[in-house]
Amino acid sequence: MPRFWANLFWNNPEFVRHRRAELRPVRAITVAVVVAVMCVLLGMACWSYQQNLLENAQRGMETFATEAWKRRAESIQAEFAQRTWLLFYRWLVGLQGVALTFWTLFSCAQSVSGERDRKTWDFQRTTRLTPAEILIGKLLGEPILVYFAVLCAAPITLIAGLAGGISFGAVISVFVFLAMTSVFLGLGGMWLSTLLESRTRGVGLIGALALYGFTLGSFGMHETGLPGLAAMSPLAGFVDLLGHSPDSALRRFPAVLFGHEIPWLLMNVLLCGSFSAWLAVMLVRNLKRDYPEIRPLSRWQAVGCAAFLNFLIYALLKPGWGTSEAHGWFPDAKSVALFAVAMNGLILFLMGLATLTPQERLKVWQRKRAAGESALFADDGLPWPWLGISALVAYGLVIWGLLAWDHILPLEMSTLQAAAIQLLLVLVFVTRDVLFLQWCVLTRLRQPVVKGFLFLCLYYAAATVLTTIAAVSSQEAGRWMLALLTPVQVFDSNVRGAIFPAETYAGLALQTGVIGVMLTAISSRLQRPMQAGAAA
Amino acid sequence: MTLAPKRALGRRFPAYEPMIELVNLRKEYDTVLAVDDLSLTIPQGEIFGLIGPNGAGKTTTIRMACGLLAPTLGRALIAGVDVAQEPERAQQYIGYLSDFFAVYEDLKVWEYLDYFAHAYKMPEGEIAGRITEVIAQVNLEVKRDAMIGGLSRGMKQRLGIARAIIHRPTVMLLDEPASGLDPKARLELRNLLRSLRDQGATILISSHILTELEGFCTSIGIMEKGRMVRSGSIEEVTAAATSTRLVRLSWAGDALAAIQEKLQGDPRVSDVNLTAGAGTFRFSGAEEDLAPVLAALVAANIPVTSFGEVKQTVEELYMKLSTHEVM
Repeated sequence: MPRFWANLFWNNPEFVRHRRAELRPVRAITVAVVVAVMCVLLGMACWSYQQNLLENAQRGMETFATEAWKRRAESIQAEFAQRTWLLFYRWLVGLQGVALTFWTLFSCAQSVSGERDRKTWDFQRTTRLTPAEILIGKLLGEPILVYFAVLCAAPITLIAGLAGGISFGAVISVFVFLAMTSVFLGLGGMWLSTLLESRTRGVGLIGALALYGFTLGSFGMHETGLPGLAAMSPLAGFVDLLGHSPDSALRRFPAVLFGHEIPWLLMNVLLCGSFSAWLAVMLVRNLKRDYPEIRPLSRWQAVGCAAFLNFLIYALLKPGWGTSEAHGWFPDAKSVALFAVAMNGLILFLMGLATLTPQERLKVWQRKRAAGESALFADDGLPWPWLGISALVAYGLVIWGLLAWDHILPLEMSTLQAAAIQLLLVLVFVTRDVLFLQWCVLTRLRQPVVKGFLFLCLYYAAATVLTTIAAVSSQEAGRWMLALLTPVQVFDSNVRGAIFPAETYAGLALQTGVIGVMLTAISSRLQRPMQAGAAA
Repeated sequence: MTLAPKRALGRRFPAYEPMIELVNLRKEYDTVLAVDDLSLTIPQGEIFGLIGPNGAGKTTTIRMACGLLAPTLGRALIAGVDVAQEPERAQQYIGYLSDFFAVYEDLKVWEYLDYFAHAYKMPEGEIAGRITEVIAQVNLEVKRDAMIGGLSRGMKQRLGIARAIIHRPTVMLLDEPASGLDPKARLELRNLLRSLRDQGATILISSHILTELEGFCTSIGIMEKGRMVRSGSIEEVTAAATSTRLVRLSWAGDALAAIQEKLQGDPRVSDVNLTAGAGTFRFSGAEEDLAPVLAALVAANIPVTSFGEVKQTVEELYMKLSTHEVM
């Protein structure tokens, strides 16, 4: 068994390759020296800062001669060494955190696309390495230089932490947390890299930066009705590990799981762990596939992922939080249901994107279907039946979630009825959009999904303009236009109970017709005659 | 069919018949049918040359055979293992070489081969010896510890070949392997493939440089527009392509009239084209039926100095069979 783990990690050929290529003795010694010099400089800076504080306090004591200044100066004097070490430790950990997360993300974001660019990817794909072995090898190997730098700084960090009054366990926890965070970001970067056909540096860099920004930015979620989402950011766990003041934001807005407060670090582990698992599933499924064959998840996995994301909404919910007008997140069951419907619009759309079928597979499916050999709910079929299943699962979770929170947010039957119609509305619009993207995949557009998405943005912009123009003549006309062209009336505050205005149903009927047109267009695209030869 | 294990490339492996089997392989891109229901069976020890113009589907076929490309329909079996179903198991038998020789420039020569030896999961004890062996095979001994980035293009190409054979593959899938090689490297590649063939490897090689395959392949397949126009041993394909044989003869002295008389008396002879001392004619009989013709000439006291069938080159064969719809 230890041999199995050694082969999977330390002796993993891909990891060994990176180790050999990037950690040649001269480079390793240089990195170690640079790290040591930086530590010394940082240590001196921390000492200087503390010295400055002490001198200021002593000057204040001499100038003002008050008891407060005296106590402050004495306190700094007495704890001078420990305070300096603690500051040094925090800076060390912070810098390592930034270097590790940034480097891991950016190096992994070029791992697969870089191989494609160098044309070495095919040779790696024709070896006996399994996708899991390639994944682990790249995840550990691509950022090897920064791992080595952290390893060099580890003894100094440990000494600084212990001297600063941090327990051994807490210091080790920081390293475990750093490793977990870098794995999470590395997986995200690698998935991004898998989606890039070659090392288009601009796109890869922008994608990685966006991912980094999103991860860090999610820290701001701690003041929302889903505070736990702030734990998507490593900052939440970091602040928890490095210690925060009693009045810090994280203490005032604790993470909650099913209404129970839990440490931010635990929430961080739960979220990063579960999302890392999904990313790992996607990578293992696709790493050795040819580029056009990449599909993030199987249909059932996509339904499972949609259910997981729905589940997260209710697990992280903080209902009735801040009942004052200023902080009115989820004051009642209706607002929770509406939020769930809106989130499902996004979830279903992402699921649709993840399950778009390549033209080749769709053609085979259609032929088999015509011959009665393939079902509607097939992995290579159209995505819309699976969107339907996901919407049903989501609605089941809406019922479960609202019943689970019934003791705090009393549930009325009309809320569930309204949620059903709203979810149906969202489903129809998302299905239309996803089928449009599927149709784009069947055309000869370059980057069909990206272009299709831009066309959709254009459509919604045009719908907004048309609505505005119609609203000039009458508000009623504007409402009709909005209802016919967009799903925005889901959020219509005038709707009472489950009774929706006529334009809602008119919009539903119109978009169902559009779906029919899209299906016909897809079908006719798939029936185009084949031409032989000249494919390479 | 169960066959006794055969020792090939220094490794015992279960012998399968056939080693490469493509069953109704089909590949569609958009509205283009790149490979159209291709079925091909290559027994062990065979060197099969896949010839055809650019865009005929050769590369697509080889990429599907080695698992790089998923077929739209059909299956590819290597040594009896379905490449799509058990890719990692199938890869132990496959050595893949394409027209580009991309290498990791930041590794040393031996490190590069060591990486692939481990990636192919060779037994740990065999790896060091095997690296030395293949480095010698591709004449890179003096560069063993050199960084790949500093090697010449030709050396990198040789290193690419070493990579493809490091794990002692029993099936070699070669996609235009000699394109871009200089004449010396081309000759070395040819010799290397011959030695692999002698050790029992089965080779599927694609090329549009037909002279490359001349005198090297045991059988050929001609592809056009994704279809296999003709396949089989070179003799079979030749026989199917031509109904008559071209025979060349030469003689000493003034025997032109006597030869003409003799040949025109045989109903199987046509297109007699004789000049002073030498000439050709077409013969519609079997190869062994040529012996009585020669015997008759000798019996008539004609001083024949040479007599034999003119074998068609692969290029001539291809030109004859190909309809050039893609070219």
